[in-house]
Amino acid sequence: MSDDAIYIVGVGMTEFGRFDGEDPELAEQAIRASLADCNLTWADVQFAVGGTNGETKPDNMVARMGLTGIPFITVKNGCATGGVSLMTARNGMLAEGHDIACVVGYDNHARGAFAASPARYGIGPWYGASGMMVTTSYFALKIQRYLHEYAMDARTLGYVSEKAFDYASAHPLAWRRKPISVDEAMDADMINDPLTRFMFCSPDAGAVSLVLARGSRAFDLCDKPVRLAAVTLRGRRPGSFEVFSPWLSPGPRTSPSVDAAAAAFATAGIQPSDVQVAQVQDTESGAEVMHLGETGLVAHGAQEAGYRNGDYLVDGSLPINTDGGCIANGEPVGASGLRQVHEVARQLQGRALGKQVPSRPTIGFTHVYGAPGISACTVLTTEGA
Amino acid sequence: MTRLIEEALFASTDPVMLAGSVCARCSAHVFPEQTSCPMCTGVDVSRVALPTTGVVWSWTTQHFAPKAPYRTDEFAPFSIGYVDLGPVIVEGWLLGRTSWTIGEPVRLALTKAWTDDDGQIVYTYGFEAAS
Ligand SMILES: [Zn+2]
Repeated sequence: MSDDAIYIVGVGMTEFGRFDGEDPELAEQAIRASLADCNLTWADVQFAVGGTNGETKPDNMVARMGLTGIPFITVKNGCATGGVSLMTARNGMLAEGHDIACVVGYDNHARGAFAASPARYGIGPWYGASGMMVTTSYFALKIQRYLHEYAMDARTLGYVSEKAFDYASAHPLAWRRKPISVDEAMDADMINDPLTRFMFCSPDAGAVSLVLARGSRAFDLCDKPVRLAAVTLRGRRPGSFEVFSPWLSPGPRTSPSVDAAAAAFATAGIQPSDVQVAQVQDTESGAEVMHLGETGLVAHGAQEAGYRNGDYLVDGSLPINTDGGCIANGEPVGASGLRQVHEVARQLQGRALGKQVPSRPTIGFTHVYGAPGISACTVLTTEGA
Repeated sequence: MTRLIEEALFASTDPVMLAGSVCARCSAHVFPEQTSCPMCTGVDVSRVALPTTGVVWSWTTQHFAPKAPYRTDEFAPFSIGYVDLGPVIVEGWLLGRTSWTIGEPVRLALTKAWTDDDGQIVYTYGFEAAS
């Protein structure tokens, strides 16, 4: 094994949903579960990275875990926090020569749509006062245009929700586990046309932790370590369509997701068509549809047929968001990207907690995307059985 | 008594025109005005009046009242859209109805946003159907 190869050797995750305790309690549960998963203790960890969008300080986790003197970096990059945390850990291990690192992400959000402050985004107060600083309307405006450009029916969005809750119904850590039909999703209260109440994720609580090891240690610590074959981060270029934008440029559209995914596939030396199980950011149903296209996993405009055929179900050609994704798990921002990696890692190891992809996948992919226009992707691989 | 929601958004009010900025290097238009060009990293930009007619580029209707800092005298569902003005696509209210079609022509208008505590009526911009 190359010593520059980084592997996931332990994973830990709390149940997602409402949580009444303190945020660091959640994080501690996830860290201890991930360490137990590979028979290590906090004393073995040489480097840590923690992400949250809340008020607590991840680097103060050492007060609970132990004052071992290790470097602990805090990440706060919105919805992309999990991916950025993982990249930061990988880079730190390679730069500083650490063998074992821990990456934790957690959050515990209040109910309801996120209230956003125009000033934080460099926009005048008029924008919020006139009711445009609303994340749900952004998602709606974006998917409305996308469905129009690629001539897809809004019913596609109902299929996304049905799939999400179907996967979640079998997953013991998922938050919303009640199955719903396409018709129920379509007929639910309209929030922002064309998106109904059952098509959005909601803020909630959860924590995920991963233990990483270099190649020289990984196979001693884990029967089937998952290689972090690529982890990439990209920002927006002209032509992207981001939240809280009073204007857009005319002309061809792109997205940081396009660039981050392309870089991940190039780094890993694979094609999007090689991916056998994947997670893409599904802040709402439309986001999943668009991100399947932007990452290159599915051709733009082919998504509707894919949902109707069942391609993204557990026995389909490309199972997507097999733990229910953000739609069924909510989005505790710091944890969400690591939840994706947790699920894909378990799928590749053949020990999914919910529905296991039966085709023995060895190549997985994850994608997070968030404000103000950043995306992080990973390629995860195992050696064949 | 009336006032504008933000004076700097407007090049004029009679006729109503929005103000953006244009980049001397790459001709990119942005809204509202800013002192640099995010498209090419240039800083040689100047204030410009934007076209007042365009077509609906995307739309949605806001079916629930947004949280603060949103202000209104009385909430009713309202439409928001992006309007393609040619050199730039601008976000704003779509006025007068709650269902729209991508591609339909619209024109800029002033519309009441809310009433201040001192009774002053606050106006913002929106786009109304042009046909
Ligand atoms: Zn420029």
